[in-house]
Amino acid sequence: MPTIIIDGQKIECRAGIPILQAALEAGLNIPHYCYHPGLSVVASCRLCLMEMKMPHPQTRELEWAPKLFPSCQTMVREGLEVRFNSELVRQNQKRVMEYYLLNHPLDCPVCDKAGECYLQDYTEHFGEPISRMVEDKHKNPKKDIGPRTLLYSDRCVLCGRCVRFAQEIAATAELAVTNRGSYNEIDVFPGRPLDNKLQGNVVDLCPVGALVSKDFLFKQRVWFLQDARSVCPGCSRGCTVHVDQNENRVYRLRPRFNEKVNEWWMCDDGRFGFNYVHREDRLNQPRIRRGTEWTPARWEELPEILRFRFEHAAKADDGAAVAAVLSPMMSCEEAWLLARFIRDVAPQAALVLGPIPVEGEDEIFPKGSAGVPPASGFVVKAERCPNRRGIERVIEHFGGATLTFGDFAAQAGEGKFKAAYVVGGYPNEWVTKDCAKALAKVEFLVVHDLFASPPDATATVQIPSASWAEREGSFMNCDGLLQPFERAIMPLEGVKADGQFLYELCGQRGLFRAARVREALATAVPKLGEVHIPQEEPEYAH
Amino acid sequence: MAYERYLMKNVGVPNSRSIETYRGGGGYAGAAKALKMKPDEIVELVKKANLRGRGGAGFPAGVKWSFLPPDREITYLCVNADESEPPTFSNRVLMENDPHMLLEGILIAGYATRTTVAYLYMRCEFTELFHIMQKAVDEAYAAGYFGKDILGTGYALDCYIHRGAGAYVCGEETGLIESLEGKRGWPRIKPPFPAVEGAFRKPTVVNNVETLACLPHILTRGLDWWLSLGTEDSKGPHMYCVSGPVNRPGCYEAPLGLSCRELIYGEDFGAGMRDGKKVKAVFPGGLSMGVLRGDMFPKNPTDEVDPNADYDELDCKLDFDDPRRYGLMGLGTAALVVVPEDADIRAVTVNVARFFALESCGQCTQCREGTTWMYKVAERIRDGAGRSFDLDVLAEVTQNMGMMPGLSICGLSDGAAWPIGMLVQKFRGEFERHIGAQAPDAAAQRIREINPAAYELPILGARPMAAEAAATVEK
Amino acid sequence: MSWQTIDRKTVAEDKLGPALSEAVKAKIRTFFDRFPTKRAAMLPALHIAQDAIGYVSLQAMHGIAELLEVSPAAVMDVATFYTHFWMHPKGEKVIVVCRSLTCELMGGKTLLEHIKEKLGIGEHETTPDGKYSLMTEECLAQCDHGPCMLINEKLHKCVRPEDLGRILADPDNDKLDIPRSDLFDAPLEKPEES
Repeated sequence: MPTIIIDGQKIECRAGIPILQAALEAGLNIPHYCYHPGLSVVASCRLCLMEMKMPHPQTRELEWAPKLFPSCQTMVREGLEVRFNSELVRQNQKRVMEYYLLNHPLDCPVCDKAGECYLQDYTEHFGEPISRMVEDKHKNPKKDIGPRTLLYSDRCVLCGRCVRFAQEIAATAELAVTNRGSYNEIDVFPGRPLDNKLQGNVVDLCPVGALVSKDFLFKQRVWFLQDARSVCPGCSRGCTVHVDQNENRVYRLRPRFNEKVNEWWMCDDGRFGFNYVHREDRLNQPRIRRGTEWTPARWEELPEILRFRFEHAAKADDGAAVAAVLSPMMSCEEAWLLARFIRDVAPQAALVLGPIPVEGEDEIFPKGSAGVPPASGFVVKAERCPNRRGIERVIEHFGGATLTFGDFAAQAGEGKFKAAYVVGGYPNEWVTKDCAKALAKVEFLVVHDLFASPPDATATVQIPSASWAEREGSFMNCDGLLQPFERAIMPLEGVKADGQFLYELCGQRGLFRAARVREALATAVPKLGEVHIPQEEPEYAH
Repeated sequence: MAYERYLMKNVGVPNSRSIETYRGGGGYAGAAKALKMKPDEIVELVKKANLRGRGGAGFPAGVKWSFLPPDREITYLCVNADESEPPTFSNRVLMENDPHMLLEGILIAGYATRTTVAYLYMRCEFTELFHIMQKAVDEAYAAGYFGKDILGTGYALDCYIHRGAGAYVCGEETGLIESLEGKRGWPRIKPPFPAVEGAFRKPTVVNNVETLACLPHILTRGLDWWLSLGTEDSKGPHMYCVSGPVNRPGCYEAPLGLSCRELIYGEDFGAGMRDGKKVKAVFPGGLSMGVLRGDMFPKNPTDEVDPNADYDELDCKLDFDDPRRYGLMGLGTAALVVVPEDADIRAVTVNVARFFALESCGQCTQCREGTTWMYKVAERIRDGAGRSFDLDVLAEVTQNMGMMPGLSICGLSDGAAWPIGMLVQKFRGEFERHIGAQAPDAAAQRIREINPAAYELPILGARPMAAEAAATVEK
Repeated sequence: MSWQTIDRKTVAEDKLGPALSEAVKAKIRTFFDRFPTKRAAMLPALHIAQDAIGYVSLQAMHGIAELLEVSPAAVMDVATFYTHFWMHPKGEKVIVVCRSLTCELMGGKTLLEHIKEKLGIGEHETTPDGKYSLMTEECLAQCDHGPCMLINEKLHKCVRPEDLGRILADPDNDKLDIPRSDLFDAPLEKPEES
């Protein structure tokens, strides 16, 4: 771990990184646009310039070199001394910020990026309040470059991050720089829009409001948004995300840095796939079928009713005719609580892993590199559930009677099961008509789901589920990493979070805290292992 | 005094482009001699000769060659025939009249650097020249000077002509390499230097046409001859270009160290100004290096140079060191353009600013925005709506660009900053006179026309920052 | 000008322009063995495409992208960077007038005004009969013969406004009188009868 000196302060840092990265990791606010740790270095924005001590050509003594060096280009070396707090550096920062504003439109009132804009922030910290520009500004048009992204070329600062992302990470190279000099514009080839699964990341990368997401356009001001540290439930990759919400409405997802899983990126399927959380047709009322009609039930009465009916169903054969279907959309904690409850009332009950939704094949980025190992590329998994491995571990721990969903459906169709607790929670339809027919044969069917589905026709108890954004817990991703996620919004009115309900079902009292339950889970199921909490990104990195 | 011509010896000779004429005059003897030596010996020889690059930067060629890693397998030689610096045309004259001298130089340099492929990067505006050079290359291949087993030594060298497409920045070494690789000509950050990682990520040497044309002469005429020409640190002959309203514009060969006055007024060179006009300004090294005051200004009574005093500066000697005393960046391409006393210095400034604004590649913020801003300001000054404050802005912007202070990736920004900075500094008096002759509120009027809302919104009137902004309009 | 949106998702058929013929593609392929990568043949490919079609059309850029195994955006990137390549159709003959300092001092501006008046077009425009297009370029490196201009490949030196009439009327004002190399020319479509 080399030690360098920045502004007189000794800083220990990782080896093999540029000085800018070391400074950011030490918490310093160094302005930069074109540098990004996940992309190649071009040193073209010239904002991060620093002074460096170098040996004098003749006397070989260390002294401050008269020229500035880009801190994103210079690697750390033991004993290197640099400074950002000098006259020359501050002057350069002021002038460069002035240059950026020369042609920038006065769009802050209508720009999505306001509040998290690095032109605003850097001008405030490092720039000047008055501009001397009185000439005609260069005005570039707005471009509709893709099904989900707009490019406001007049706001662009030409950092080149989006172009390098499209070339290096996605390897689809749809974006390019056109023209020359101050007529430079970012553009796509007409007729070949920006349309790949990773394209949403260019909106995060853009330091100003040039690239905007059509999904988020004009929806919400960012200073009203609060973020929760969550994990995307879109596929088994388990990319860590920030869920931005205001007043219990989720407005957008942003990737959260995770050195072991998704680095700085996330795919569009996960990024724009949260809208099901706010669908109008979400179930919001527990119901019990008395006779042929549904009647509303109260949350408080459900644990007793369920315990009574399952015990009754298990009496004859110790529960061999009882089953619990644990959906891979559940968190580990919830699965464990449910499995504990079922095995508690019915020791021979079958634990079943719910159906695994699969969409197409694994998609590996950069495109065209088939044999890329997971650590150096981005993979969009075909398996569209976040926690299959977690559920498998839990079921494995309990042992005993376990079934695949196919077998379970077959056996249910033959009438084998008297009582079953089926958990859904999928964003899309997950029950085929045949499967529903099979489930119809179950006498006492409890369906715990987000939306109405075919088994409701014959279910006895219908419990509304909370979506992942409304719950807290942990998912185990495809590589076996256990990642915790926080609750972002309160559950829909009328819905109790799954974890809280299952906690009460197990006879516990009080508030369900996922962290506490996880502790107990860790001792009970050692195979789940340690949680992986990704490193925090430096405060001033972007 | 006319000097003996070495580089230009075949200019005016009938049929000088053909290989027979060239060989008849002793051509390719230098290459034959070189191919009998070891490559490292040639590098040492060129280092001793202190052959400094003729493309503008003046970097010693031998030192550049010695940066190549010794254990390399592939080396590329890029010949920089992208002569776009106004008003340089010496490379064109050389290639037009004596293409084989360049090819011989390529062969020698290629052999010395163990080059496998040489690319002759020629700008596309050299339309006729392309055909001339291609024919010469074909002749050289036919005669066995390119291709496999050259002159029976086992050395193989391929030479391809690569046409550019109209970009000044592709004359910068890494810009040329990027353009050769089929990308936009954005210069690369250094390190890594081209000698280590250049074209196609292999060791590459980029040399100017005239630099390479000197090589056959060093080999045939010998080191002593070379060292006898020129000044202390600038050895060898040089091709000077004189252009503008002089009586004899053209390309002249002489040792380094000639003064501007000699070049403009000498009988064997420019032969004086047309219509007997005086000189207002001279750009002695191409536009990028800066400007000297002409003999419209009074003579300097002492020997001391003071760039701030308004004295005639035509005694500046054109070698690699003297121009710096007068505030210029360096020798550059030693191509003179003379601005006569009746030219409007504001129009000259606009022309210079426009050149750099349109040729800037757009990577670095200071260069991209700065050059265009200077162009817009210069245009407004020329249109009679300038202010004294604008001259200060121009002077300040030129301080904030450049590769030398580490603020930009390549030297185009230095080339943009220097002449405009010097024009504003050295001809300030004239600028102020023009501004003084404007209508008193011409500038404020024009600024308000461009941006009516920014300075006049009543709602902003009470805010202190708006008042400050409005005050800059009045200044 | 963000009050205007340009739709890049689709492009109208009539904007695509002509495609590269097989002969042109074959000629571009002959450049591959000069360079270690296919991408380096970009500039020669663009030159040949412009010579074959008259300008670099979108279809041509597609064709080049396929040949060179890069994305079409990369070809567009390079083609728009350089001033020599036209993105829209141009006339048979392109007049390139030098606008740098020396030529301006020698009367280049007046020459440009005269040409614009005579032909009735501005920069980057084409005469209605499709014969002449006009553009200006920085220093053509002919400063000893200013003001100068290129018509296609032929250089005209020391052009005075009074010479314009004669030059523009001459049908051979773009023909060179030296042996030519057709390396960067579009291939002849039909094979020559030898």
